[in-house]
Amino acid sequence: MTAIRIVAPGLVLMLLAACAGRAPAPVEEREVEARVRTPAREGSAGVQVYSLQNPAVVELTEDARRAEREGDYEQAAVLLERALRIRPRDPQLLQHMAEVQLQKRDYEQALSFAIRSYDIGPRVGEICARNWRTIGVARENLDDSAGAREAEQRAGQCMNTRPPGL
Amino acid sequence: MSRRKKSTARGRKPARRRRKSKAWRWPRLLLLGAGLLTGLFVPWLVWLDHLVTREFEGRKWDLPSRVFARPLSLYEGLELTAEALQRELRVAGYRRMANAAQPGTYDAQGSAFRIHRRAFRFDDGAQDALQVRLRLESGQVAGLATMDADAPAAVVRLDPAEIASIYPLHDEDRTLVALADVPELLVMGLQAVEDRQFKHHHGVDVRGIARALIANLRAGRAVQGGSTLTQQLVKNYYLSDARTISRKVNEGFMALLLELHYGKPEILEAYLNEIYLGQQGRYGIHGFGRASEFYFGQPLQRLQPHQVALLVGLVRGASLYNPRRNPERALQRRNRVLDIFAETGLLSPSAAERWKGKPLDVIATPGTGRSLYPAFVDLVRRQLRRNYDEADLRSEGLRIFTTLAPHEQAAAEAAVSRGMRELARNGLSAELQAAMVLADVSSGEVLAMVGGRDPARAGFNRALDARRQVGSVIKPLIYLLALEHDRDYSLLTPLEDEPVALRQPDGSIWSPGNYDRRSHGQVSLLEALMQSYNQATVRLGLKLGVTHLVSRLRQLGVESTVAPVPATLLGAVELTPLEVAQIYQSLAAGGYTVPLRAVTAVQTAGGETLKRYPLRMLAQERRDAVAVLNYALTQVVEGGTARDLTTLLGRAERVAGKTGTTNDRRDSWFVGYTRNRVAVTWVGLDDNRPAGVTGSNAAMRLWAGLFRALPAQDVGLDMPEGAYWLWVDPQLSALSDPSCPGAVQLPFVAGTEPESVSPCRARLGREEKKSIWRKWFDRD
Repeated sequence: MTAIRIVAPGLVLMLLAACAGRAPAPVEEREVEARVRTPAREGSAGVQVYSLQNPAVVELTEDARRAEREGDYEQAAVLLERALRIRPRDPQLLQHMAEVQLQKRDYEQALSFAIRSYDIGPRVGEICARNWRTIGVARENLDDSAGAREAEQRAGQCMNTRPPGL
Repeated sequence: MSRRKKSTARGRKPARRRRKSKAWRWPRLLLLGAGLLTGLFVPWLVWLDHLVTREFEGRKWDLPSRVFARPLSLYEGLELTAEALQRELRVAGYRRMANAAQPGTYDAQGSAFRIHRRAFRFDDGAQDALQVRLRLESGQVAGLATMDADAPAAVVRLDPAEIASIYPLHDEDRTLVALADVPELLVMGLQAVEDRQFKHHHGVDVRGIARALIANLRAGRAVQGGSTLTQQLVKNYYLSDARTISRKVNEGFMALLLELHYGKPEILEAYLNEIYLGQQGRYGIHGFGRASEFYFGQPLQRLQPHQVALLVGLVRGASLYNPRRNPERALQRRNRVLDIFAETGLLSPSAAERWKGKPLDVIATPGTGRSLYPAFVDLVRRQLRRNYDEADLRSEGLRIFTTLAPHEQAAAEAAVSRGMRELARNGLSAELQAAMVLADVSSGEVLAMVGGRDPARAGFNRALDARRQVGSVIKPLIYLLALEHDRDYSLLTPLEDEPVALRQPDGSIWSPGNYDRRSHGQVSLLEALMQSYNQATVRLGLKLGVTHLVSRLRQLGVESTVAPVPATLLGAVELTPLEVAQIYQSLAAGGYTVPLRAVTAVQTAGGETLKRYPLRMLAQERRDAVAVLNYALTQVVEGGTARDLTTLLGRAERVAGKTGTTNDRRDSWFVGYTRNRVAVTWVGLDDNRPAGVTGSNAAMRLWAGLFRALPAQDVGLDMPEGAYWLWVDPQLSALSDPSCPGAVQLPFVAGTEPESVSPCRARLGREEKKSIWRKWFDRD
């Protein structure tokens, strides 16, 4: 009994801690890194379809990355918007914007930008995986769990079309 | 003023009593003097003081909001002509100068440009002045480089043009300026010419008066005024123009009182905003800011020395030296002022000589002053009104960043003006009105807006406020509904173009005919849209349900109420050009609705960003159907009701578009888009009388005039997931092959493709199978 008395509060605490762990974590940069960028990079194993980038876009994108690292997502979004004025249909840029919107917790916008990136992008490889992972996280936060599961699946399929031998 | 007369009348009465006794004369006079002093002079002073402070406080200068165009970002590969670049620079107040030595200047040698941009505070940070070089090669920016090795050079953003100010209501005829924003040369030059002792005197300059007196006596007439700036301000504020002694005395005392209450900078600022400098109809032109717009069409900060000199010269006599009516006299006066600038060391003698050689540079027609782009600024105000009090907009000196693209706006204005002249030559009414909206497809940014046939004129803004029936411009949405409909329709689906009769709610029969008064029997969905057949469209729309159309319009951003009646199917719906632009933006962007916006950010006067209006978009569900529709709308231009457009454009450019004509030819519409630009034009009469216009004979011409001036860009026809291209035989409505005769490539929403196979393709298929066998054998 005494053992239980001693152990019980501990168990309750551990359970609570587990619950806390399952609560939706804030979407911060490391989460975008952990849930979108890293798995997409790892899964793609070299399947990357990059559009040739315009130097102006590269400069603005780099500035946006810097703002992101400093946690100034608002500024990152403004810079990406400027880049989008130059290349409005650049899938990389649209996906980057989607990820920044995720960090800003504007899930609707994250969803729209990621879908647009997928629509006009290569629909294969790393960027495809980032598209669907972003869509998944956004849907999850918009309480669309079925949609989130579907997105998870689609992210996996991005690599299926990998040409053999790569 | 009546009050002053009264006091002098009262002053005479005691004088009659004085004659009664000589002995009492002096003490009595003393007493009387003291009595007058306390009884009349002091209250008079108090009254003047009250007048001065009340007036001055009441006119505390509210700062107008300043409105900026979108900044031009230069980068290699940007499509830009020399003409467009020079126009952008001109609107932003850049002057041409050898080597672009100062900020705000540029130099052009053939296709090589050197631009010295000014420092500017954007909503995303401050930018330093910077010199850049670039070339324009085959319509593109090349060789972009900065003269400062440290500055990043891949993208160089110029400071934006200031396109308007939003003014305090009670000062509708003013463009107020803060002292800090007034060019040094004006502040110093004004004092050099009008009041050199301004810094030192207390409102009245006794030596100045004496000097003026002597000069006037010598000349035998009034050639010089001894009034200080303070006195001139007082005169402008409260007093009539009458040259009487009493007025002079009042003026003097009020000037002294004003100086007692307020500092020199406050008085100077009030002066700069108050002084009379011209007349426009029944409105006086008060203040240098307003005068600068009135005479030069530019903000004060951008004036060159000879222009500053002209304004300073006008202080002495705005109508005498009116540069529009008396250019000779104005030139003399201006050059005299430039001499004074040189005498006082404000300009070097050689510079003064150089500026004296310049023409007056006054614009022929005074700008309406308020803004160069009244229709666009109207849109800006309305978008801001959702977040700001009208009063704040007019008084807080907000800095408003907008999407207006000066070159595109100029192209839109020219297209409307030229187009309307052309329509008149073609025999259409000279009273026809027009509206135009140009927006960026992906960002929803409104680049240009014209609200009437005379673009510079403020007033009824048809782009925002003309609610007109849209006619066939609505049809593509019915076809969109079909393509979205449960995979039942493709571009090849046959429709019945046959007479249709419907009983209306009021019992009458509605039986719409076609434009060519014929029925065309069985036609494909694509053909019906291309040729804008009414009967086929009504039959299709009725099958799909008018209520669906109404809700789809709502989804696409239409805020006007639309009645769910059959006539809606043929565009008996009143929408504004801006609403039509919003609908087509969604289509042009491939099913992404981006709310059209004119404002991107708002800052406080001090440069702190208050609010941003970022890019936001909403992905429509059925982007596959939109993509198929987009192709169909390119066919409207290719061989449908807008087939003349290619000739009007004079170049092969894949454009999507739709014409619209309403009953009795009252309204002419054209909406068209390329990959990155969507524009709507409307032409009609304000009173809605029949105007003899059709979509293609009026609005489409204006549209073509605009797009001719923009870089060519094909419409995007990439298929999203769920739609793809197939080779088909449209006659047989069957799958075909590129090598088969009559085969065309058409887009389909997955699941709507033809099931049958054309005989040609079937044969090819058999041959292919054979060849596979042959390969097997060859291998062995």
